[in-house]
Amino acid sequence: MKYKDYYATLGVPRDAAADDIKKSYRKLARKYHPDVSKERDAEERFKEVQVAYDTLSDPEKRAAYDQLGQHRPGEDFRPPPGWERQFRFEQGNLDDFDLADLFEHFGGGGFRSQGARRGGTGGFAMPGQDYEVTAHLTLEELHRGAEVSLDVAAPERTPRGTIQRAPRTVRIRVPKGATDGERLRVAGRGGPGVGSGPAGDLYLNIALRPHPRYRTSGHDLYLELPVTPWEAVLGAEIEVPTLDGRVKVAVRPGSRAGQKLRLAGKGLPKPREGHGDLYCVLQVVTPAVLSDRERQLYEELGRLSGFNPRGHLE
Amino acid sequence: MTAETLLARLADETTIAIDELLAASGLAGEELAELVEFGALEPAGATWTFSTRALVAARRAARLRDDFGLNAPGMALALAYLERIDALERRLRELECQLPGWEA
Repeated sequence: MKYKDYYATLGVPRDAAADDIKKSYRKLARKYHPDVSKERDAEERFKEVQVAYDTLSDPEKRAAYDQLGQHRPGEDFRPPPGWERQFRFEQGNLDDFDLADLFEHFGGGGFRSQGARRGGTGGFAMPGQDYEVTAHLTLEELHRGAEVSLDVAAPERTPRGTIQRAPRTVRIRVPKGATDGERLRVAGRGGPGVGSGPAGDLYLNIALRPHPRYRTSGHDLYLELPVTPWEAVLGAEIEVPTLDGRVKVAVRPGSRAGQKLRLAGKGLPKPREGHGDLYCVLQVVTPAVLSDRERQLYEELGRLSGFNPRGHLE
Repeated sequence: MTAETLLARLADETTIAIDELLAASGLAGEELAELVEFGALEPAGATWTFSTRALVAARRAARLRDDFGLNAPGMALALAYLERIDALERRLRELECQLPGWEA
C-alpha cells in the first residue's frame, strides 16, 4: 500500500489540535472546493484534501492512521501486524486497497458517497455510492445523440460483506438535447446499497470537445464567416457549412463586420422539440497581398468615393 | 458485466418525488423546506416534485453544507451566488462566441 501523508496534505503538524485541522480544512476547501474554485486541478486537489480530512477529523480513524507510522509519501508500506484487528477493519486482504479506500470503510461502515450522502443514517442500511463520470463528446455526437461507454471502477461490497474493486463498463445513451456542462442522472446506477439501503445514482457530466468551426452557447452555435470587402458592400450569396450539410445564406448589401446572420433551427436539438440556432458572425477580411491591378482599383475607389465614416468625429 | 444501455435523463426531462430528492441529495427534510421557502430551490409543480436540475442544486447545497458548515440560509445564499455566476458565465460565453478571430 502506498503511503500518503494526510497531515502534509492539510498542511498541519502531526500533533495538530482537532480545531486546527478543521480550520486548515475549511481554508483549503475555500480554495479548492469545486463549487467555488475555478483553479484547473481544483477537483483533484479537493478530493485529496477531503480524504485527508475524513480520516484526521475522526478521532478513531486518526488514531488508526497514526499507528501506521510515518513514511515517505508514495512509499510502499504494510500496516503493523494486528493493525486491522485492533481497528476493526473488516476486509481480509489489504493489498487491494489504497489508503483512501481503507479509511472510507473503516470500522465496517458503509460508503461515503461523493458529497451527497455524507452524514447518512449509520447502522447497517447505507445508500450506495454515487458515481460521477464525465463524457467528452464532440459537437456532432451531441447533435445526433450519442452512446458512450464509460469505465467505472469503484469499490463495491460483496454479498459476504467484504469490499472489492469492481471495474464495470457502463453504456449510457446521451439523449438529444444535452448541452455542454450539463449533468445528467441515471437513477439507481451508482454503487449498490448496503443492507436495505438503496443503490446510489450515476451522474454523467457532459464535456464538449472544442470544435474547429463552431463555438457553442447552450443550444446555439456560432460560426465565424469571413467575407470580402466587396461581398460586404455589394451583398452575396454564400455557402456555409451547418451540422446538417451546406446551406446558402444571403449577405445583404451594406453588411458590417460583427453582424449576425441567424439560421433558425440549425443549432443543437433541444430536449423536447425544436433546435437552437446557428449564427454566422460576419467578419470582413482584407487581402494581405495585392496584385498591381487590385491596388490600382482600390486607389481609384479611394479617389472616387465620397464615403466618410468619421464624419461624427470631426 | 451488463450489456444493456442506460438512458441518462436530462435536467428538465423528468421529475422526482420529494423522498427521492432527499435520499439522492443528502439534504434533511427541514433543510429542503427552508431552501424552498427562501426560493433557493423550486418544486416543479404544486405537489412537491422536483426536476433533475433541482436535484443537482440540492446536491450542491448539501456539499456546501458538509464542506463549509453552512446552515440553510447560508446554503440559499451560496446557491443564489453560484446561479448568478453560472448565468454570467453563460452570457460571457455567448458574447465570446461573437468575437472575431477565436482559436479553435
